[in-house]
Amino acid sequence: MRSFIRRYPRMVIGASIILAVICLAIAAPILFPFSPWEMRGAPFEPPGSPGFILGSDALGRDIAAGLAHGTWVSLLIGGVSTLASLGIGISLGALAGYVGGRVDDAVMRFAEFFQTIPSFLLAILLVAIFRPSIFSIITAIALVSWPPVARVVRAEFLSLRKREFVQAAEVLGVSHFRIVWQTLLPNALPPVIVLGSLMVANAVLTESALSFLGLGDANWMSWGFLVGSGRSVIRIGWWISVLPGVAIVITVLGLNLLGEGLQTWLNPRLSKRDLP
Amino acid sequence: MSSNRLQAMPRLIGWRVLKMAAMVLAIVVVNFLLIHAAPGDPASAIAGQSGQADAEFMRQLREQFGLDKPLPLQLWIYIERVLTLDLGVSHRLQRPILTVIFERLPATLLLTGTAFLIALASGVALGVRAARKPGGIADTLIMGGSLFFYATPLFLVGIVLVLVFGVWLNWLPTFGMETVDMPLQGIARATDIARHAVLPVITLAVFYSAVYVRLTRASMVEVSSYPFIKTARAKGASETRIRWVHMLRNALLPVITLAGIQAGHLVGGSILVETVFAWPGIGSLAFEALLARDYDLLLGIFLCTSVVVLTFNLLTDLVYLAFDPRVQAL
Amino acid sequence: MTCKLLAVEQLSIGLPAYADRAQAVSKVSFSLGEGEILCVVGESGSGKSMIANSIMGLLSKELPVLGGRIELQGIDLLNQTPAQLRILRGSRMGMVFQEPMAALNPLMRIGDQIAEVFQVHGIACSQERVADLLRAVNLPDPEVLVRVYPHMLSGGQRQRVVIAMAIALEPSLLIADEPTTALDVTTQAQILKLIRDIQRRRNTGVLFITHDFGVVREIADRVIVMKDGELVEHGSADDVLERPLHDYTKKLLAAVPRPNMDAPRPRADRAILQASGLRKTYWRGSKEVAALNDISLDLRKGETIGLVGESGSGKSTLARTIVNLVTPDSGEIRFEGTDLRSLSRKQWKPFRKRIQFLFQDPFESLDPRRTVGDIISDGPIAHGTSAAEARAIAREKLQLVGLDPSAVVRWPHEFSGGQRQRIGIARALAMNAELLIADEPVSALDVSVQAQILDLLEGLRDKLGLSMLFITHDMRVAAQICDRIAVMKLGEIVEEAPARELLSNPQHPYTRMLIASVPGLAAGSVVGSAMETS
Repeated sequence: MRSFIRRYPRMVIGASIILAVICLAIAAPILFPFSPWEMRGAPFEPPGSPGFILGSDALGRDIAAGLAHGTWVSLLIGGVSTLASLGIGISLGALAGYVGGRVDDAVMRFAEFFQTIPSFLLAILLVAIFRPSIFSIITAIALVSWPPVARVVRAEFLSLRKREFVQAAEVLGVSHFRIVWQTLLPNALPPVIVLGSLMVANAVLTESALSFLGLGDANWMSWGFLVGSGRSVIRIGWWISVLPGVAIVITVLGLNLLGEGLQTWLNPRLSKRDLP
Repeated sequence: MSSNRLQAMPRLIGWRVLKMAAMVLAIVVVNFLLIHAAPGDPASAIAGQSGQADAEFMRQLREQFGLDKPLPLQLWIYIERVLTLDLGVSHRLQRPILTVIFERLPATLLLTGTAFLIALASGVALGVRAARKPGGIADTLIMGGSLFFYATPLFLVGIVLVLVFGVWLNWLPTFGMETVDMPLQGIARATDIARHAVLPVITLAVFYSAVYVRLTRASMVEVSSYPFIKTARAKGASETRIRWVHMLRNALLPVITLAGIQAGHLVGGSILVETVFAWPGIGSLAFEALLARDYDLLLGIFLCTSVVVLTFNLLTDLVYLAFDPRVQAL
Repeated sequence: MTCKLLAVEQLSIGLPAYADRAQAVSKVSFSLGEGEILCVVGESGSGKSMIANSIMGLLSKELPVLGGRIELQGIDLLNQTPAQLRILRGSRMGMVFQEPMAALNPLMRIGDQIAEVFQVHGIACSQERVADLLRAVNLPDPEVLVRVYPHMLSGGQRQRVVIAMAIALEPSLLIADEPTTALDVTTQAQILKLIRDIQRRRNTGVLFITHDFGVVREIADRVIVMKDGELVEHGSADDVLERPLHDYTKKLLAAVPRPNMDAPRPRADRAILQASGLRKTYWRGSKEVAALNDISLDLRKGETIGLVGESGSGKSTLARTIVNLVTPDSGEIRFEGTDLRSLSRKQWKPFRKRIQFLFQDPFESLDPRRTVGDIISDGPIAHGTSAAEARAIAREKLQLVGLDPSAVVRWPHEFSGGQRQRIGIARALAMNAELLIADEPVSALDVSVQAQILDLLEGLRDKLGLSMLFITHDMRVAAQICDRIAVMKLGEIVEEAPARELLSNPQHPYTRMLIASVPGLAAGSVVGSAMETS
């Protein structure tokens, strides 16, 4: 265990951060057994005031409570939208890489389209037109973030198909399904796992940006909303914006560290060169 | 052989332009689908919440879109309208959408262009420095910094900069693009705009700089293990020459590719930055349209920024073509 | 003896902590005279390349020089500052590498890369000088070539460019690290000749690293033999090749493939595989390349036909066409009378049991994420055998190829190259195949391992009555194992004959050139001497 920590410090730090954030989400209803929208006292109480560890906002709401409850939205949206886009990306990428030819062309053009257009603007449009809700936010983020997955899976499949051990399975008479399922997918997975953790980070950032612009789900407290709501009163209470922002940074940092750690762990070829 | 490449250029560029046109068409179709997929009547979706627009306006809209006609025909009408550069009228501003967008475009181009150049230059320079001695002090500091800024939302960077340099230190303006109450001319005006631009540009550049640092470093480390680097050493070339002549050029190839892909993201970033700094560009226009539920305007912005991004993509493709003699077809 | 140019004394090079032995090179001493060619021979991991790199000062930091001296014309190379060493590189000593395809900067014109040698040493360089160098390495059209980028040149041409750079400043020492290993045999012969010419013309001392005794015979004045970082034999080329003293040298020489001298086996009447009129073209950019051009082949039951050709000859395409990994444009492939081309994927399936394929790269052909048992069981399971039964088959086949049956639970990466190739054979034979298509099955292996695998294949063929189509680039290997040899060039079979006949009396000019290019043959038969010593 100790040697694992020494070899993959980033992964251990990243995983610890994410674990802590998950614990915070679980503990939120216990630590703050009231709605984060509830006014709990005087407005603009600075951090450390009695009753407000992290201060209060312009309406006297508890920032600490908002922060803890907001964890849910970030994790939920980050996780579910990533799963959805992994689903889309892996199926389309596998299809393109395995079938090849025109199917490949078509899928790749489609992915290229989604990759070149201003994706954040498309996400804004989708959420705005379909009304802001957890569901529309997840759909929008998933729709704009699958192309890298599809590209990676396709590239892996294409190069794996040329590899001799895949041709060997073909020559043995192994079925398409088994070749894809037992040979191609497991070998294509490591880069997808790495990408997945980075995508959760991106989804958390995108969600916070959407809520910051006022496109969050009105039923859920979120970090981006807190940052946005504090923006106009920054001169009076800097902590309203900055502290939830710090929460976003720590979470995203943890996910990125986890992703980088996974990369060195799953791909030992890189580890000697890239690890300091 | 190189003349072959020159001859092939017009064909390659023509091919790219054609592809770009297809993409624009696809975006128009997406726009159309968005209008029709919206809950409720497209006209009410466009006009915002149905209650907000009066009956006459709604009737006008329905007629304008030919909502009684079959869907493919409606699509055709829509495409025709867009191709004749008619993006409709913003119901909020009561002005043609294209005019509004063109008014705001220069401010955004100034912001994103400057930020992009700064991000690219600083990112590549720092990435090269970090790759010089992987694991060294400089590498640790640079990579730590880039990891941090890579994880920080743009709007948070903006807010913190406003707080520190605007509110606490009061060194730089944090609102708008120029001082409104004091009309300036010539150099004085340019200086004024530059002072206003410092914080928004830094905000936008910092994130993308972090992206380029990471890519450049990884790319340099990768290239350093290529056999031709050893060939250069065997020739007696100095390490400095190897780094700048042999490694950097090769390491820049993926950076150019990413720069092309990132263009679309820059637009997203500018929405956030312009919102924070009230920079009068496309981004804050999008935010205003969002607040006013002016979806027609939003769709227009989506289309226009896409065209800008695609043009930028075309440029990066050409740069790549000039850079890498191996590319025969794009 | 000639004047001393390079002296290496008691050289030791360390290895990183995770390596399997303490030192990459331990206490190696030798010297090289002016105008002399010294070959360093050894198998992979013998430390031969590290000696070359330590002389140039190009060892990576993980491989520190632990002790010893290296002296070039009286200069103590190990005690030079990096700046001093940099000046010596290129001017006093030049180096040629193994991978010509990757040895040139892809973004820089050929002329600029050659001119760079002069520039970095502060010497003015004219266009003519570069052109002269290109002429000196026998490259055509120097005026055009200087403006060209590396990707437009073939491997052999690129290696000539690398040689031109190495000799640009007329260094007295040229180090060549397996310079012909990645090249085709006819190109290899030309490059070897070029290096010899340069050595004679300019009186350059050449340190030539190789694994191939044929190449040694072709070029060496003196030879040192390396094994596991130690120098085991040192002497003149004649002495080492004809009268080796060390057992390891003897073993290596005996492993060099040699023509089968047994009486030819009778040819069966029944054909097992018949191909006729096979065509396959690829589009490379806007150019059409014929990989197979009207190929016809007749393989009899129990027979082994060798398909010999250089890269791009279409031999691998032909092999893959037969097992339906590549679809031909036209033509017919009959297996015991059944036309395989007209079959659907489902109809093909029963033939998968009977026709099997052996791949080239033992590190590529086994799925790294599955156990050896699972890998070998794949075929039987795909054809309806129960998992338990398939596992039993796997154990049995492992024994057949000379591995312990307990290997079923282990992972591919736990095995050496030769062992992995044995696993590949076990997999191919798991369903009692009748026809084995072997695509360069020994070309990625060290010579001693290669000999073992060839013996194994030969034994299995006789024991199981296998018919074989054996694809190789190495005429020597084909001569050892094949009954008949077909020579391929640019998608066509230019000549086909019984092995012995083809070797002793080649008809087609290309066959003659191919045989003449086999290293070691021209300078007296490696083959013959190897037989004497074994």
